[in-house]
Amino acid sequence: MTQKNVQAAALPLRSGFGLPLLLIAALGLLGLSVLLAGQTAPAVAWPWLVGVVALLLVGAVGIRQSAQGETPLARILPAAATLILAILAAEAVLRAYAVPTGLIPTPSKVAQSLWAARNVLLLDAYYTFVLEALLGFVVGTLAGLGLALLAVRFRMLERGVLPYAALLSSVPIVALAPVIIKAAGLGWPSKTIIVAITVLFPVVINAVRGLQSAQPMHLDLMHSYAASPAQTFREVRWPSALPFIFTALRVSSTLALINAIVAEFFGTEGHGLGFRIQIEVGRFGLDIVWAAIVVASVIGISFYLLISALERYVLRRN
Amino acid sequence: MTTAPTPTTLPRAARRPSNLFPMLGVALAALVLYWPLMLWANSGQAARSLASGADLGCKTALACATQLRNPVIPAPGQFASGFTSLSVPPLAPTSAPYNALVTGGETLLGLALASVLGLVLATLLVRSRSFERATLPWLVASQTVPIVALAPMLAVLLGQYGVQGFLPKAIIAAYIAFFPIAIGMAQGLRSPDPLQLDLMRTYRASPAQVFGLLQVPASLPYLFTSLKVAATAALVGSIVAEISTISFSGLGKMLAENSRASDTVALWVIMIYGAALGIVLVALIGGLERLVTRWRPPA
Repeated sequence: MTQKNVQAAALPLRSGFGLPLLLIAALGLLGLSVLLAGQTAPAVAWPWLVGVVALLLVGAVGIRQSAQGETPLARILPAAATLILAILAAEAVLRAYAVPTGLIPTPSKVAQSLWAARNVLLLDAYYTFVLEALLGFVVGTLAGLGLALLAVRFRMLERGVLPYAALLSSVPIVALAPVIIKAAGLGWPSKTIIVAITVLFPVVINAVRGLQSAQPMHLDLMHSYAASPAQTFREVRWPSALPFIFTALRVSSTLALINAIVAEFFGTEGHGLGFRIQIEVGRFGLDIVWAAIVVASVIGISFYLLISALERYVLRRN
Repeated sequence: MTTAPTPTTLPRAARRPSNLFPMLGVALAALVLYWPLMLWANSGQAARSLASGADLGCKTALACATQLRNPVIPAPGQFASGFTSLSVPPLAPTSAPYNALVTGGETLLGLALASVLGLVLATLLVRSRSFERATLPWLVASQTVPIVALAPMLAVLLGQYGVQGFLPKAIIAAYIAFFPIAIGMAQGLRSPDPLQLDLMRTYRASPAQVFGLLQVPASLPYLFTSLKVAATAALVGSIVAEISTISFSGLGKMLAENSRASDTVALWVIMIYGAALGIVLVALIGGLERLVTRWRPPA
């Protein structure tokens, strides 16, 4: 509280001050990186580090200033500036200390490698995301919904299977992966199976909880309308289950890609982002590793946002 | 009553019978299905081995299915012998229980590190709006990023700077567990309602007292919920870290060795140990939660 007051007193011009400061910090860091690109490696690195830290402090004040208020700019700018400043600062520091690419590659090197290896990485992403994560996600979701319907229909099954499902959902995927890959082969279907299994449990648990969440009042009302079980299901049970199911889908959407990548660490036929990461770590090709991580991150975030958008659309229509 | 749900639901808690018998029934069904499934899964490989002229000491594919060297699904006898050979001196460096303990220790150390870091970050997030706006979108986005993909690289990096042995695995486990914990803690620190905050104000509590006496205790249930989510992820992290670094113990090292040697029976046994370890870790955190948050009625 007191700190905020001091800040306000020291900098009376609150708004309108952030953007210039951010520009100064970003351009300064860019300038440092460009200066460092000219020579091979500076003899003494610490003055450059001091410069980077000073510019980051300027940037921090800029972020603080631009985060005031409720305008759309005040919501987006601080986050965007943080990412840009972090990348630029990493670039400058890594160049100043001449860190070898085999240890930590500079962001510009990663961007170059990303462009140079784009075809390989896109093919890897096709295997990992479309064939393994997405297909496994769809199969796991459908199987989970089917199992949940059975469990809700037959109470015996619910009481027998659900405790196991809850127990098995805390089993680490890496323990499962080698066995399934040995059983189903090195090709992509084995990874699809692994993803489907990991998606299955959260979907079953949440779908059963959702299908049972219908309010007794609503069910009574349907009963008094002499609605058939199918009508009751369509009008009451299913709509009230949807929010639960989408929660599970959102969680699983991120798990699917992560587990596909981890499963690939245990054996592939030479495709996939996880395979690429593992093989390039062994060869100290960390620029490609980072490029693969960037590709995976973009896909992961897009898939998550897509499922979230679908959730909003479906829930609004119901 | 048990098999046909009526559309009008009676209060369920009142007539909820024990899950024990249905669970036993499902376990029994799984055991009964296991034998034909094992025969079916192994007979293909057995037939191929026989066709290639291998002498397995048996005539038909079906008879050979239980005695393959590297079965797809091990037969009960193979399972039992693999289990005993991997766990009989329980604390020998090559036995699975010892390695599971090592991995479990790494994961718990990682979770402890992650909780401390998560508390610091959550405090910053709650205290400073500009910090929240600058970093929260990236923290949320990082949940959708395959962080575990960074584990092999982090392992190499930490090894370069001389961090070796137990610690790099714990750091990687902490790194993976840290984001869900930070987010959960931030949610928890914000959870006291205005009435409770008003009460603290009428007591003239200092901000530090409000934090220590109200906000931190209120955040504990959130901490444990996110710890349970993070525990499995951290376990995956430490196993992947063991696979991708030079390690001399741990389930990950055993997995990597036996995966290379194609010893499927051992892989199955390690899988069961890994699964048990995950379940035990979550149960441990649950027990700790009950111990720490005694003032809450049991959920």
